[in-house]
Amino acid sequence: MTAGSTAIVAHAEVGHAREGGISNVILGMLLFITSEIMFFAGLFAAYFSLRASAPAWPPAGFEGKLVWLPTAEHIIPVVTIATILLVTSSWTCQVGVWGIRRGDHTALVRGIGVTVVLGSIFLLMQAYDYTVLYSEEVRLDAGVFGTTYYTLTGFHGAHVLGGVVMLSVVLYRAMAGQFTKDHHDMVEATSIYWHFVDIVWILLFSTLYIIPNVR
Amino acid sequence: MSLPRLTRSRLAVVVALVAAGALLSGCGVMQPPEAVTSQGSEVRSLYEFVFAIAVGVFVLVEGLIIFAVIRYRRKPTDTELPPQIHGNNVLEIIWTVVPAIIVAVMFLFSYSALQKVQATTPTDIQIRAVAAQFQWQFDYLSADGQTVLFQQLAPEMEVPAGKTVHLQLKANDVIHAFYVPKFLFKRDVVPGVNNSFDFMVDAADAGQTFSGQCAELCGTYHGSMLFTVKALSPADYDSWLAAQIAKARETPPPAPSGGAGQVQLDIAAKDIQFSTAALEAPADKPFTIKFQNNDASITHNVAIKDSAGQEIFKGEIFAGVDVRVYPIPALKTGAYVFECSVHPNMTGSLTVK
Amino acid sequence: MATTALTPAATGARAGLYDWLTTTDHKKIGILYLVNSLLMFFVGGVLALVVRAQLAVPALVHYGFAAPGFKIVDEAFYNQAFTIHASLMLFLFIIPILAGFGNYIVPLMIGAPDMAFPRINALSFWMLPLAGLLIMTGFLVGGAAAAGWTSYSPLAQAKYSGTGEDLWIVGVILIGTSSILGSINFLVTIFKMRAPGMTMFRMPIMVWTMLVTSTLVLMATPVLTSALIMLFIDRNYGGHFFNPATGGSAILWQNVFWFYSHPAVYIMVLPAMGIVSEILPVFSRKPLFGYKAFVFATAAIGALGFSVWAHHMFTTGQVALGFFSFMTFLIAIPTGVKMFNWTATMYRGQLSFATPMLFALGFLTMFLIGGINGAFSAAVPVDFALHDTYWVVAHLHYVLFGGSVFGVFAGIYYWFPKMFGRKLGEGLGKIQFVIMFIGFNLTFFPMHILGLDGMPRRIANYSPDAGWSDLNMLATIGGFTIAMSMLPFLWNVFTTLRNGEPAGDDPWEGNTLEWATSSPPPPYNFDRLPEIRSERPVFDARHGLVGGGH
Ligand code: HEA
Ligand code: HEA
Ligand code: CUA
Ligand SMILES: [Cu+2]
Repeated sequence: MTAGSTAIVAHAEVGHAREGGISNVILGMLLFITSEIMFFAGLFAAYFSLRASAPAWPPAGFEGKLVWLPTAEHIIPVVTIATILLVTSSWTCQVGVWGIRRGDHTALVRGIGVTVVLGSIFLLMQAYDYTVLYSEEVRLDAGVFGTTYYTLTGFHGAHVLGGVVMLSVVLYRAMAGQFTKDHHDMVEATSIYWHFVDIVWILLFSTLYIIPNVR
Repeated sequence: MSLPRLTRSRLAVVVALVAAGALLSGCGVMQPPEAVTSQGSEVRSLYEFVFAIAVGVFVLVEGLIIFAVIRYRRKPTDTELPPQIHGNNVLEIIWTVVPAIIVAVMFLFSYSALQKVQATTPTDIQIRAVAAQFQWQFDYLSADGQTVLFQQLAPEMEVPAGKTVHLQLKANDVIHAFYVPKFLFKRDVVPGVNNSFDFMVDAADAGQTFSGQCAELCGTYHGSMLFTVKALSPADYDSWLAAQIAKARETPPPAPSGGAGQVQLDIAAKDIQFSTAALEAPADKPFTIKFQNNDASITHNVAIKDSAGQEIFKGEIFAGVDVRVYPIPALKTGAYVFECSVHPNMTGSLTVK
Repeated sequence: MATTALTPAATGARAGLYDWLTTTDHKKIGILYLVNSLLMFFVGGVLALVVRAQLAVPALVHYGFAAPGFKIVDEAFYNQAFTIHASLMLFLFIIPILAGFGNYIVPLMIGAPDMAFPRINALSFWMLPLAGLLIMTGFLVGGAAAAGWTSYSPLAQAKYSGTGEDLWIVGVILIGTSSILGSINFLVTIFKMRAPGMTMFRMPIMVWTMLVTSTLVLMATPVLTSALIMLFIDRNYGGHFFNPATGGSAILWQNVFWFYSHPAVYIMVLPAMGIVSEILPVFSRKPLFGYKAFVFATAAIGALGFSVWAHHMFTTGQVALGFFSFMTFLIAIPTGVKMFNWTATMYRGQLSFATPMLFALGFLTMFLIGGINGAFSAAVPVDFALHDTYWVVAHLHYVLFGGSVFGVFAGIYYWFPKMFGRKLGEGLGKIQFVIMFIGFNLTFFPMHILGLDGMPRRIANYSPDAGWSDLNMLATIGGFTIAMSMLPFLWNVFTTLRNGEPAGDDPWEGNTLEWATSSPPPPYNFDRLPEIRSERPVFDARHGLVGGGH
């Protein structure tokens, strides 16, 4: 570009001229996740505030309902297995991303495919967990305990569902061969989202299941 | 060149004079009422301090703007660009630091006033304001917190002037706020929260009545949630309280159900609904209504109105689950209406014959 | 400057309806935002007139019930009127109209062809009319929301509020989602789509304010969304978040609500400050004084905005009074920096007083009052007296109307020529300004005194003995005067669109890139860009400063 004169820029060039840095899609995803963090921060803030003002936590009648280690009643702690699966799925997702970064389509399809399966199993296990808890009288309207539990895990579950849908689209497009080494923003963005969902779960799992049981 | 200058300065003088006039008259009316409590006086003097600073800032900045507007109007001779000043760091620092100092001083003053307004002193005058959609009830408590008197029918709180009163605030339905403009003070009455504050009406104000009003939107009739505060001399207050207690004792205690041939009507409330829409009572004989409130932590009562809408009886408002037996005076034959004062949609007919 | 010769008719106003419904062009979406928001302003304004008419004359008030005195509307409708008034004005007028200006002007100002995500941009817009309809549907289903725009729990719980409240919640969630998507769009556009040479510190202040505003939206609005969802769960699925009767907390709602809503008041004013910061230099023929200080002050306001929310809750007795009072006082400092920079911009300039400049001056003089009377409430004991009285109503209208709305009209008069290729009539513009300015002060200044005299807000009736009658009558007259000022405006828009004076590309001798293209601009905005060497590229080009630098 010459100094001192009027620069003539073609339509297509305007705005795409900024070099380096992350792509629009990935930046957009990072910003979206920022807003999601604030959304969950709101829910967590409510949870901690209500928990702090409750006379006892878990409140009377709910002791030992949320378990992550085997107990006499719950020999298989479903959530713990689900947690392990979800953490694993973050890994498999990343393996897929690394694959496409090398241009390896098979690795991408495999990685994302396994991730979709693991994510779906997580959802099924959460649904199962809900039915068990419901039968044990832990319900959405059962005091602040039930309300916060289902709201937090429910919104997380909805995000997992959203992630599985996005991953399925990625999988479909990957199988159709639409991604290349240099052109796979959607894969990157979706994987970031999936890691975020995973981290939220780890926080949830710790606050809901582990911390109340630490005595 | 000199002519426009002249008009400009003249214009400036006129504007300044008009502004000063408006400001002076503004300052006169922009004052809160004279406070009647010692805490309120603190607020009032803090207000005056803040107001003085506000007027100073206002005059300075507004003046600078008006000055620039008048002084730097574009003239036909302005063909060249004015000097292109991009900024000045010294000025930026000045107008960051000076307001910072002013603001720090304002904070310190208001913080120390806050300590005085919030201060509590041990006192044996304990009153509890119970707010419910849409009225106030004032209970008088003994030193150990036992209720010695319910003051229901008139939303009026009597307080001894010159003595510190500890006021507890209690609500069971929605948020209300206890506000007496002449106290220059309000405090929210929040369900689930134990709020309270101390105040002392100046001894000189004994005999006066101050109006108060709920200041937090609490539903349809929020604007009608009025009350008054009556300051009595301590001696008058003591005798008033003693008389009230004596009067309350005099009212024959509600007869036990089924006893002494007195009629007792039964009614209950659940889910903001009365259990029945029609009651019957004998004429010209006092009777009782046994009212069972089954709505956990919701307040209800039973009030009776005659056909003209005039209230003849209003029972104590209380939160469920609980029960009260209301003594009703003798009524003449006729059609009456009973309702819950808290929930005007809970009504029914009372037939006396 | 620009070489394209597109006529207004070819691109602007007369494009087909289908085109408008499906457009992803940021300029058309911007105009849709403006039109929709102005419609909401009129509806919200008419509701305000209902409020003012009801308050014009006192009525006898009885304990517990209102006597059948003077009544335009009953108490139940009154509460709906001011609730929906505020909801429309804040959520569907001020916030979206400023986003609309941003939509139209930010890509132009940074030399971009469009927003980063044009289709998401269209989606963000279309959520708004839907949300507006939802919120107003309440009037048809037995009562719109009536718990105030703050929707405090327990009053907003199912036990005390009807279906209108649910519609309101869903509507506001939709608006919030629209804002969040919009803010992501702005941020990516600003970070990634600037033309060559447009460094961050050469961006027009309007772009900076949109950047800070979008950051606030991104960080604050999701918290409101979660709060509203929790309230919805309480109301409809037996939740207990905000219900003290069952272990929840009424104060919790206030905390999460104000955590959003205080930053939100800066969302509602920063872009208007941006507009004013564009207009003052142009009509003073000087650069903005202290550009960088201005940018830092904007960022500081944004950051401090997150630490003052509980100044709305001083009288609950449940917050750290000292801390929030201190932080609230602090916010006066960066705002003061802005006031002084604006004033210094005019100093030794050559001021001309076209309508945009008049409205910008209206902003300066009136926002100052609103800022100062806000600082009264920062002094906690004073707020004990003023909270929930008409003083606060005066404060919020001085900042929101005296500030934001004057800024909005400044922007409309300033950019109308760019948007439609025709200049709004100056005569009618000045008439509108004068009527509006007088009406505004007549309406809202007396409210300071009413507040000091103890008139609480949100009451449908007051007794003749209270001594508030005269000032209320004055405020009502003022309210209708403001409404009158809309007539010259609407007439102005109507006649200008039909046969207004053609504006040319750069009617005001502007500074920023939007004046370097045709009016209205072609679909992808620029055929050529002037070189960008400062925050005033068009000024530089006009005065042959490019290349020389300064
Ligand atoms: C555009 C919107 C907007 C803006 C910009 C502001 C700006 C400010 N607001 Fe306001 N506010 C509202 C909208 C806004 N507010 C609304 C809508 C409500 C009511 C909500 C409801 O309950 O419905 C409200 C309520 C509100 C309250 C609660 C009152 C109550 O309910 O009791 C408080 C309390 O502190 C407050 C304070 C402030 C302060 C300190 C500023 C500051 O940012 C102002 C800073 C500016 C200046 C001070 C002027 C310029 C500065 C100088 C010239 C420097 C020198 C100045 C000094 C030394 C003082 N506001
Ligand atoms: C941007 C925000 C904004 C704007 C612009 C306004 C504008 C106005 N407001 Fe607003 N108001 C709020 C935000 C706003 N308000 C908020 C947040 C509250 C708090 C609510 C709460 O407590 O929950 C409030 C509350 C509020 C109250 C207090 C109610 C109460 O507490 O009981 C009052 C009372 O006078 C009032 C009046 C007005 C008036 C007269 C206008 C006027 O300026 C409106 C002028 C506009 C018009 C009139 C439209 C133009 C009309 C036409 C073109 C048609 C012509 C029609 C005729 C002539 C009939 N408002
Ligand atoms: Cu009680 Cu308002
Ligand atoms: Cu605020």
